[in-house]
Amino acid sequence: MSAQLQAYPALSYSLLIMSLLFAVAGCGQSTPESAQPNGIIYCSEGNPTSFNPQLDTSGTTVDVSSHQIYDRLLDFNPLTGEILPGLASSWLTSKDGLTYTFQLRKDVEFHSTSYFTPTRQFTADDVLFSFDRWRLKNHPYHPVSGGQYPYISSLGLHHLISNIERVNGYRVEITLVQPDSSFLANLATDFAIILSAEYAQQLFQHNKQGLIDLHPIGTGPYKFDSFRQDRFIRLKQHPHYWRERSSTQQLIFDITPSSSLRLAKLMTGECDAIAYPAHSQLNIIRKRQDLILDEEPGLNVGFWAFNTTKPPFDNPQVRKALAMAVDKNALLEAIYYGSAIPATSIVPPTSWAFQPDLKSINYNPVAAARLLRENDIEEGFVMNIWAMPVERPYNPNAMKMAELIQRYLRDVGVRANIVSYEWVTFRARLNQGLHDSVLIGWSADNGDPDNFYRPLLTCEAIASGTNRARWCSKEYDDLISQALQYTSQAERAYFYNRANELVIEKMPLMPIAHAFRYQAYRENISGLQINPYGGIQFRDVSKR
Amino acid sequence: MGKIFLRHLSLLVLTLSVLSLFSFSLAFLFPGDPLTNLTGVRAENQEAYSHLAASYHINGSLFSQYWHYLGQLFVGNWGISFSSGLPLAEEINRSLAASIELSAYALVFAFIIGLPLGFVAGLKHHKIIDYSLLSASVIGYSIPVFWLALILILIFSLQLGWFPLSGRIGLLFDIPYKSGFILLDILLSDLPNKSDAFYNALRHLVLPTLSIAIVTSTIVLRTSRRSVIEVMNSDYIQAAYARGLSSRQVLLKHGVKNALIPILPLLVMQFTTLLTNAMIVETIFSWPGIGNALIQAIYQRDFPAIRAGMLAVSVLVLTFIISMDLMIRLIDPIRRRPENATA
Amino acid sequence: MPRLKLYQEEFYPSPLQNTWKEFTENHAAVASLYCVLFFIILVIFGPLLAPFDPLQQHIDSLLVPPTWDSNGNILYLFGTDGLGRDMLSRIIYGCRMTFGISLLLVVLSLFIGVALGAIAGMSSGLRSSFLNHLLDSLMAIPTLLIAIIIIAILGTGLVNSMWAISLALIPQFVHQTRDLVRNKLKKEYVLAAQLDGASKSHIFFNSILPNMGEMLVVQATLAMSTAILDISALGFLNLGAQAPSPELGAMLSEGLDVAYLAPWNIALPGAAIFLMMVSINLVGDGLRSALRYRLLR
Repeated sequence: MSAQLQAYPALSYSLLIMSLLFAVAGCGQSTPESAQPNGIIYCSEGNPTSFNPQLDTSGTTVDVSSHQIYDRLLDFNPLTGEILPGLASSWLTSKDGLTYTFQLRKDVEFHSTSYFTPTRQFTADDVLFSFDRWRLKNHPYHPVSGGQYPYISSLGLHHLISNIERVNGYRVEITLVQPDSSFLANLATDFAIILSAEYAQQLFQHNKQGLIDLHPIGTGPYKFDSFRQDRFIRLKQHPHYWRERSSTQQLIFDITPSSSLRLAKLMTGECDAIAYPAHSQLNIIRKRQDLILDEEPGLNVGFWAFNTTKPPFDNPQVRKALAMAVDKNALLEAIYYGSAIPATSIVPPTSWAFQPDLKSINYNPVAAARLLRENDIEEGFVMNIWAMPVERPYNPNAMKMAELIQRYLRDVGVRANIVSYEWVTFRARLNQGLHDSVLIGWSADNGDPDNFYRPLLTCEAIASGTNRARWCSKEYDDLISQALQYTSQAERAYFYNRANELVIEKMPLMPIAHAFRYQAYRENISGLQINPYGGIQFRDVSKR
Repeated sequence: MGKIFLRHLSLLVLTLSVLSLFSFSLAFLFPGDPLTNLTGVRAENQEAYSHLAASYHINGSLFSQYWHYLGQLFVGNWGISFSSGLPLAEEINRSLAASIELSAYALVFAFIIGLPLGFVAGLKHHKIIDYSLLSASVIGYSIPVFWLALILILIFSLQLGWFPLSGRIGLLFDIPYKSGFILLDILLSDLPNKSDAFYNALRHLVLPTLSIAIVTSTIVLRTSRRSVIEVMNSDYIQAAYARGLSSRQVLLKHGVKNALIPILPLLVMQFTTLLTNAMIVETIFSWPGIGNALIQAIYQRDFPAIRAGMLAVSVLVLTFIISMDLMIRLIDPIRRRPENATA
Repeated sequence: MPRLKLYQEEFYPSPLQNTWKEFTENHAAVASLYCVLFFIILVIFGPLLAPFDPLQQHIDSLLVPPTWDSNGNILYLFGTDGLGRDMLSRIIYGCRMTFGISLLLVVLSLFIGVALGAIAGMSSGLRSSFLNHLLDSLMAIPTLLIAIIIIAILGTGLVNSMWAISLALIPQFVHQTRDLVRNKLKKEYVLAAQLDGASKSHIFFNSILPNMGEMLVVQATLAMSTAILDISALGFLNLGAQAPSPELGAMLSEGLDVAYLAPWNIALPGAAIFLMMVSINLVGDGLRSALRYRLLR
């Protein structure tokens, strides 16, 4: 019957389609992404707010700009924490600790891009511009892009420096108001970058100052090419970089907020390295032959901060009660899968200021409920917990942690709602102080404990946005300032210990954990190291 | 003929105006300040705000505001995105092109698979091959499209490593933007490794297209099967057989054409389901299309982007449907008769 | 003892009985009908059947595999998720939510849609033509887009997504009702009723509405599958039901994070949605076939 003829075309059709698919799949079998141009793709977790880490403390901004696009006067040795020369080839400190003189490196070229061609090399003018921009309120570039320099103001650097002088084209002298033993360390952090004064001048003439932070120019190993919001950032090699570096020609930041998607892309080879592998997936990475997992104790702390300016969270007893209602160890198990240590204070054990015998509060829901009732918090009290939508080294899954805390609070009669937004929106709203409490944390930028104590809980840090508890205590501020007057660790530790006890007594935040830091990448990538002091570095990274 | 054309054109204009009115009113319905929602510009201080208000005629009547807004749309100012701070018109253009590319390939693929199989099923009505195709098709369109996409990723991307799972092309390829259609742009560019790039883009296309196409092809299959059954049962086919034409002649001369025509309007209606599926698939595969952009916009509460995206998608859908409707009326002899107002 | 039939009686089955007879010939459809009934039982009796509270977190039993796996635990039949919540209970509650809410939305949209469609169909003239074409065009907008807009206005959450989806379902009912009403208006029995002097509403409720029943049921099954898909899609995109709510789409989205460690977190909720869709679709198919062929045998 001729109608049967119809079946065969259908079958052969299907076979044709299938074989086409197999053909497309079959060639280039090893990974789906072979035969691509020279370059490294790094899967990052969020959008940067700008390309200038001076303006922002978020890791997403720092990772892409700080060590890729820019350089600093000084750098940290990632293994020892020792301070190394950067754009400053050598330096001298005066005996009274008030004057620092820096000798600058010669033959350093700035980036040449489609929007800027430098006519001169790096000189002292660039150093002056980069510092004066945030230091002097009447500097023409101070208000550009918001006028907020959170890291710097949280450390009080703009009050600390009394004068910066250009001695000659390659020598700069910085004078301080008082001696500060953490000053050099602060100059080596991710935020003390050097911008191009010539570029700033050019933008100023065209009245386009804002572009300095959006289309950046620096001296770093990679130069900015393009940024597509929520998609990728493309950086290209800076051919005249002054230091030795790998031959990688392109560096792409593939913006992927979901951690499981990052891991999937790492497994298929669409990403060569990823940010913040989820703790639940670490074992999978360890098991696979083609992936490498680096592990290191982190200089960070994850905590639950209460908005101490909003009643009833202005009452330390209420804060203490809420903290007592939550079982920290359960959080560690469920969120960090064991790759973190419980935190009793805000500094981790890897810091020399850690206090091993510190007595913190314990999990006690009965006492917590009683304390709440005593302070007029009745059953059915509603509060919100703001949870970050992205992973950070100190908290891999704030949303999940919020759900767990929600359940603990339910046991003491408190109803908690979880609030979250996209990362940039989240931080913007957090800065307005709209939260009751927030799950967030802090990663250190240098090995100095002042880097924890000052930005997290001092009065000045409220304005810069790093003091999420919005706590202002003169007693605490005094302790922290006094610690900087001494150079011996034992003397400084005394003040920091007193500060720890004050924090436990008043509980503006509840420290939860110090997490290990991880780096996951494909086995054909070399030169990638965990930087305990801040942002990721791709200078020496190459692909075999 | 011209009358039909005019009717459709007026219908298009009418619905587009309703849509633009809706988009305008959304600025007031969304939370927040209406002027900010309308323009996307966050004024820094009171002075900048009143300047902006004056230029948008906020102080006039609602109608004058709407009129001004309409004018801005035509000029190409679709507002500024809250999150990126860039003009929306270009973003929407790029995303729309990406979505159209994906949906078009999926639609074509669905037709290539569904139509012949539907014909086979219809011709072998109530035989085994019909039943098996029918069961396969029920499974096909009962699978939630996001689950299907996830399973395809788990098997073909992660387990077997055959296809990539995100984006349109490997990010290391820097393809300059010309038309927005990636395959075309690769061919038009002057890169040294064009064939590598083209091949790479093809591989990125496979899984998203399949996810959408599998669901759509089952619907194409069922519709064409139904149409073929009805046509083959009709009188003129019986008459053709009676006159002695062979099966093949009957099919080719009468069957195919008459079966195809009723399919088209039904399938045009399926376009919206295809678009919904495409939007979900775009999110899962990080395909930079308008669906993904809209969903990101709502996560970020980017109201100007939502409004502009909605307008763009609706314009696309309506233009497509109304022009397809016009085309169908023109080529379908049965429906070409003159219409009166209420028929 | 079988009853003796002494007298030959002509047995004329009613159209409904014919439909049922035709429907039961299709075994797949009957099986799906049982499946649908099973889901309805879940909707009503779910809380009694579920072993645990779906929100209860068992911190000591995180990511336990289902019972049939060697590491499984008989206590948690379908295993647990990343926060230690029992999957079986969550899926029961999830099916209950998805199915029950879809049913509710379909009924709601049906009433509103039929009312609007009746008004559109019964009226004539330029106004109705205008409305009709407008409605047709608005039907063209993708349901997800409508949902996004409504959620942007009202905010995320299950209730708001319900509004969005019902708004997206209504146009289909309106369209079908209007078409049907128009068709029936041309029939002779309606003409007869008009000549008798019946008012428009009388004609509608007595002559047209009873004839719409079958079409409405078929349309309702179609709308049901759309509603289930849309609710879970919105839950999956985190625009509808929010965590920790046990909605199937939201569970799928949460399960993505632990997809390699615990694939049952994705497989089981997805399979539940799939089962619901297949059974509804097969019932709808069977019904349509039955309606088409009931008079031919």
